[in-house]
Amino acid sequence: MRIEAIDAWRHRIPRDEARGMLTDVMVYASEALMAQIRKDLSLEQAMNVATLPGIVGSSLAMPDIHQGYGFPIGGVAAMDCGEGVVSPGGVGFDINCGVRLVRTTLEEADVRPRLKELVEQIFRDVPCGVGGSGFVKIGARDLERILVEGARWMVKNGFGEQRDADFSEAGGALEGADPAAVSERARERGLPQLGTLGSGNHFLEVQYVQEVHDETAARAYGIRPGQVVVLIHSGSRGLGHQVCTDYVSVMNQSMAKYHISLPDRQLACGPIRSEQGERYLAAMCAAANFAWANRQAILHFLRGAFQRIFGASARLDLVYDVCHNIAKRERYEVEGRRREVLVHRKGATSAFPAGHREIPADYRAVGQPVFVPGSMGTASWVLAGAEGAMRETFGSVCHGAGRLLSRTAARKGRNAREERDKLEERGILVRSESRDGILEELPDAYKDVDEVIEVVHGAGLARKVARLRPMGVIKG
Amino acid sequence: MGPRDFEVLEHPADIGFRAFGGTLPELFARSALAMLSIAADPAGALPREEYPLAVESGDRESLLVDWLNEVLYWFDGKRIAFRDFRVTQFRDTAIEAVGMGEPRDPLRHRARLIVKAVTYHQLKIERRGGLWVAEVYLDI
Repeated sequence: MRIEAIDAWRHRIPRDEARGMLTDVMVYASEALMAQIRKDLSLEQAMNVATLPGIVGSSLAMPDIHQGYGFPIGGVAAMDCGEGVVSPGGVGFDINCGVRLVRTTLEEADVRPRLKELVEQIFRDVPCGVGGSGFVKIGARDLERILVEGARWMVKNGFGEQRDADFSEAGGALEGADPAAVSERARERGLPQLGTLGSGNHFLEVQYVQEVHDETAARAYGIRPGQVVVLIHSGSRGLGHQVCTDYVSVMNQSMAKYHISLPDRQLACGPIRSEQGERYLAAMCAAANFAWANRQAILHFLRGAFQRIFGASARLDLVYDVCHNIAKRERYEVEGRRREVLVHRKGATSAFPAGHREIPADYRAVGQPVFVPGSMGTASWVLAGAEGAMRETFGSVCHGAGRLLSRTAARKGRNAREERDKLEERGILVRSESRDGILEELPDAYKDVDEVIEVVHGAGLARKVARLRPMGVIKG
Repeated sequence: MGPRDFEVLEHPADIGFRAFGGTLPELFARSALAMLSIAADPAGALPREEYPLAVESGDRESLLVDWLNEVLYWFDGKRIAFRDFRVTQFRDTAIEAVGMGEPRDPLRHRARLIVKAVTYHQLKIERRGGLWVAEVYLDI
């Protein structure tokens, strides 16, 4: 495969590298990360994305890119809203999987002595939902409203504060949701799972702010060194999984009609301007709203857990909530022309710069907050969106560290108890529903999150604001 | 399920399985059990009830994906723990089967991890040395 190094942070695979590619692949990675990225199929997958009809600009690969199915994870593709396609696989099965960062009024020194109690309390109050259901009891009519109103419905119904919805991407609910486009099966899978974390790489992490790199932005986001914060990573649970499953099948059946042929069936897509495309987008928005409601319910239960341990004076405020599996209509200047595109972010986060109208007024002067979780033993980052993202990546950056080892390889030769003890010696308490959950998410299974951050910072896509260190991890 | 009924395949982010069967109906039944073994332990489920399952699709590959998604919906949506499957009708574009199992009980049926969906990623159904072999990757 021909890969041209452009500078220290950028690599290009030219469009003539494979038949059918309509555009180049642009990879944001250092030489060291490139060596890791080349070990799996992620670049081939990014090249396949470059064959999709109506792609605008390059097929983009973020530094945390790794092999997915169809689209790579850590991939961004913008499609022309007139002639382009929408691909359910380009959003992923976990529609609006995302992260929210919560700041507390507590210091590391307040929490450390009672960390075990806190982690146990959160583990009881915020279920993973691997075997059973969540604590939010709602009916079919409530679900109908949630699919339209997302986090806003939860806030109106006692699961949080108005500020929580205001400080979520898109105000915690995307417009254009149509519950009628969501199947009965999707509702059935989702209803009992509202307010649950899920398994795999989903987690809830109690952290403290280790270093601040940009004081102005940190002050605007309300974070300071030593402060305890909580990062929540979850998505749309079974409802979103079923919506994606339903529409991959719809697209597969209708592609011949639109004369679309693809190198991988998991890329199944349909014209944005088609009955199938419009219906998928209406269902995707509804599933995204369910995900915001889910993360809102988790925040509500988290507040309860903190107050049970630290009393009513312990305040938890949402810093922001960002999604990293989504397709959104946005406007960009492309080759001197203002164009409306549908940006597919599959394991990628929006990163709008200062002044962008989608950023809450309190943060508009410094740029959109971006959260990049690392593995549970290392660090997570808070970034601020920068101008480079608008010029080059359709307002997008990475969403994590990116996996390096398969789950089976990560487990090999390791003992869960030993690994748990090693993390505990480093001040990190882990509570997991399953034994394998710990082993599969160990730091060695991931790329170096700091190196990933150097790339997006160096390339001018986002700025470093703060580095967060984990203290307590709750996972499925 | 014996050791040659299926094996787990690695994927950087997810997980897959390779299932074996003497016939296509057997391959489809074992593929469903392989998927459920990744999500939970089918041996813990008792075959108390029979659930009719029927799927139609465009070709053999999509039939396998749609069949597994059907089983996953019954597991995650209707919350049924399956012990085994008996395929009663099979052609390349349609399958009818009976799933033997019982409603899931979180105390008796320990779940391992949540399978989100079945993908077309590197999907294979082929004949190797007198056996049918399927390779399927799951999103977890």
